[in-house]
Amino acid sequence: MRKLTLTLLGMFTFALLSFVSTDVEADDQTVRVWFSHIEAENEAMRDIASDFSDETGVDVEIISRRSIFDAPNDLANNAETANRPDIVFMQAPDIGRMVYSDLLKPLDVSDYEDRYASVATEAFYYDGQHYGVGYSVDTSGLVYNKDLIAEEDLPKTWDEFFEKAEDLTTHTPCGAIDVYGARLNPRDMWFNYPLMESFGAYYFGRTPDGSYNPYDIGLDNQGMLEYVDFMRDLMDLGLTLDNPNQSESHISSNFANGRLAMMLYGLWNASVYQSRDIDYGIAPLPGKTEEQPSEALTTVQGFVVNEFTRNEEGTLSFLEYLLEDENQQTLIEAGNREERKTGERNPANLSVMNSDYVQKDDILSSLSELNAHAQPFPNVPEGPIWYNHAPTILQTIFYDDANAEEKLEELTDAIRADVAVMGETYEHIEIPWYVHLLAALGVFSLVGTVVFFRRRRRVSIKAGNPPKWRTTLFAWLFLSPFFILLGIFYVFPIGHNVFLSLTDYSGVNLRDYGLIGFENYRTIFTTGITGLLSMTIWTFFFAFSVIFLSFIMGSLVAVILDKFDMRIAKIYRLVFILPWVIPAIITLLMWRGLLETDGGFVNQLLQLMRLPKIPWLTHPVWARVSSILVMTWFSFPYYMIVAFGMLKSIPKESYEAAEMDGANSVQVFRYITLPWLFKALIPVLIMGFIMQFNQFGVYILTEGGPTTGSLGEPGATDLLITFVFNLAFNTHRYALAAAYSVIIFILVGVFAVLSMVVARKRMEV
Amino acid sequence: MRPKTKKRLIRALLHGFLVVLAFVTILPFGYIVLLSFGEGVVGAEATIPEAFTLGNYRALFEETAFASWFINSLLLSLAAMGIAIVLVSLSVYAFSRLNFFGRFKTFNFVMLVQIFPLTLSMVSIFRIFMVLGLLNRLSGLIIVNSVLASAALVLVAKGYFDTIPKEMDEAALLDGAGRLKIFYKIIMPLAKPILAIVAMQSFVLAYNEYVIASAVMTEGIDSMPLAVGLQSLIVGQYGTNWSLYCAGAVIGSIPMLVLFYSLQKYFISNLTSGSVKD
Repeated sequence: MRKLTLTLLGMFTFALLSFVSTDVEADDQTVRVWFSHIEAENEAMRDIASDFSDETGVDVEIISRRSIFDAPNDLANNAETANRPDIVFMQAPDIGRMVYSDLLKPLDVSDYEDRYASVATEAFYYDGQHYGVGYSVDTSGLVYNKDLIAEEDLPKTWDEFFEKAEDLTTHTPCGAIDVYGARLNPRDMWFNYPLMESFGAYYFGRTPDGSYNPYDIGLDNQGMLEYVDFMRDLMDLGLTLDNPNQSESHISSNFANGRLAMMLYGLWNASVYQSRDIDYGIAPLPGKTEEQPSEALTTVQGFVVNEFTRNEEGTLSFLEYLLEDENQQTLIEAGNREERKTGERNPANLSVMNSDYVQKDDILSSLSELNAHAQPFPNVPEGPIWYNHAPTILQTIFYDDANAEEKLEELTDAIRADVAVMGETYEHIEIPWYVHLLAALGVFSLVGTVVFFRRRRRVSIKAGNPPKWRTTLFAWLFLSPFFILLGIFYVFPIGHNVFLSLTDYSGVNLRDYGLIGFENYRTIFTTGITGLLSMTIWTFFFAFSVIFLSFIMGSLVAVILDKFDMRIAKIYRLVFILPWVIPAIITLLMWRGLLETDGGFVNQLLQLMRLPKIPWLTHPVWARVSSILVMTWFSFPYYMIVAFGMLKSIPKESYEAAEMDGANSVQVFRYITLPWLFKALIPVLIMGFIMQFNQFGVYILTEGGPTTGSLGEPGATDLLITFVFNLAFNTHRYALAAAYSVIIFILVGVFAVLSMVVARKRMEV
Repeated sequence: MRPKTKKRLIRALLHGFLVVLAFVTILPFGYIVLLSFGEGVVGAEATIPEAFTLGNYRALFEETAFASWFINSLLLSLAAMGIAIVLVSLSVYAFSRLNFFGRFKTFNFVMLVQIFPLTLSMVSIFRIFMVLGLLNRLSGLIIVNSVLASAALVLVAKGYFDTIPKEMDEAALLDGAGRLKIFYKIIMPLAKPILAIVAMQSFVLAYNEYVIASAVMTEGIDSMPLAVGLQSLIVGQYGTNWSLYCAGAVIGSIPMLVLFYSLQKYFISNLTSGSVKD
């Protein structure tokens, strides 16, 4: 016990010490730059910054970042705080909503236009102004295996691509495909977009002045139908993914194993191809005609300037400095890890593109050649909307043979509806401060009265000693640290969410949001109500089954292990906690592979036993069964461990009494152990049940599918939370998400209160 | 002889059940280990790699900041565990032993606030971290994880504390012992099994927590905890390195297995309680 106390004390001191770590207040004139996740690149930038400081006397701080994907939201949160960045490294598709929230400063890029690839400045052009300059171009093209197809034989048109793909495909003697000429993912729209476009389909059309018109969607025109025919022909040849659960990684791993000649992809897995000795190359995509190759969709990453910069002059002159040719050279070389030339950064600066560093390397030079054949992804806030709907629709068209014309029309309608939703603006309600005060007082006195009267009644009904003030004071002293923290990290978020649910806070309205009344709730009850009920039922059923099964499993295993010989039991125990200690994302993906209908381990096992294959994740009912079983697999160790502890508390007398009555071990388990555990674990079980409502794991396993094929309807395994998350976050409607979370809170809260009342009644009887 | 053969049969059946369960439990983990030695693995689904190498483990230490993630996570989880043990034992003692005003209401309150889907309110959590100046600090994660763990574990521990006979503290009270002394000298030693569980679970929770950590730790590669660091290997913009991730997951699970192994003596009862044995 003494040792334990000392350890605890040590930990506590450490925790306290980590608070005192000092934070030097950044000088107001320092230019702060949020840069890369590659440390070598940050170091190079720091050298550049210190040269700049020596020359100009302006201090520059370079801050390493975890990921470029966080940049937009973090900028919105920090734009006006003491931690504000002045220059931010950001992806061009994100700038639309940043500009919409007035977070970015327009820049004069005329000096850069002839020193940078056109895509670098074009990508940051929004609403008539430039907002940034590109640094690296993340693009894709025609990746090919040089051993299977020579560079000069590469197809120049899409028709040729089709022929070559067919010609290069070889079969094994039993008819299966040995080498794929090409392999495409029919559900994909990013890599296949240039192909769609060559037939005349398009995502967002443009107005004559070059800006995007999000209401002009060409995904249901004649061209798109021709694309569908093209893809179906490829499917008939077996040159597409076999089922909708497979993804690009299947294609990429075919390529890594030398079984694929051509694919529409980038070089993200280049290190894997190298390690497998694949002689690969990347070339511009085929085109509609030989003269004009199709342009691949591209994400340009570059530098933007915070509208609220403290030192505008210093910031702009540092931006200019870091965009100079020789500094770009240093940065790009550091980003590609010098001589390793990883290809992680594909320069947008023309001088770097033509430097020996790039030109003397096969891959870097062919990548930078692609810059001329790239088109930036639409940077309007509405850009990402197609992700919400296109995969579902394309899946039903290609795998369920749905009527393409009808489905594509449904797709464009859904995109248009979301565009309209994002464009909606609400009138803010101004509430004077004294109304806030009055409301707060009102709520406070209401709660006070209720509590007062309720206590009166309870004290008068309940027999036994009434609590003493001294004990109460003492108890609250014990509880205060916990409750203060609970207030900060639980109660505040709840209150804040209730507030947010009454505003128009969204991805395009990050700063200037205000109260709009109950609009969000109205939206939910008028449009989102379909599916809400069926999903609620399924969520309850799911949570109940998982908790029930895990409790039974956990207690059973705990009791059996309790009786076993110490040594064997120790090993078993270590095995059984594995699901609990390994990150869920990786084990879930393992299960996804194990449960695959064709070639999954489980089905192979079934076939060995001469049993029929089971569509574990592709049939609605089986997908539900699998998700319950897999989630039980996840949570039973938790109950096993808790049960271990609780078993110790079961009084020996109960067992002895049962033994004297001649009960066998099954009866002892059923009538003594299980009820005892259940009683001791009621709060845990209710809690576990509630936790299942926050379960995102299922989404990794099934992605909510199989889908019903209609947009806006939940898939078979969609839980309330995953559905809401997708619905609200895909269109960046955070206030709507907040309103949903309040509704879920009330729904589950009522249920929890009821079950606690029932549980207490039963315990008292 | 008959009862003995029957007993043997039951034992065999139980063993069979455990072996099958162990197989199902270990299967995905086996694949993770295989993938962690795999060369040229692109996808994450359970497939057997075509070639094997030790390179992933080397790369983990040479090319990523794995070592600092690992240390960060250890510090974070140990500290959160320490705080959680203190918070849980203090508050559960009050809930279980002290007869005070608001006892039931506050206990229900602890349960009710946890219903709120925190994953949907990251915006608010972020605000709190910003106001308290905890952004990008390990200390912030320590606090929030110890609160998350305590809130959940108070409910677990209350059930156990209730089973410790009340006569014990009443007797001590008659002997003139103060509340604090009873708490420290009588209740705490008896509660060891559940405190071991609290320790284990708060450690695992802090160690694997990803959503909050990824939202509030955005600066610096070296300052991330393991869960976030590993994730950056697969959701980074330049390809997904599943073999590296698997290698990290395998090494990353070691501290939890060690902790479990060393704590299990506290919460595993002896051979005596069973009725199969006589």
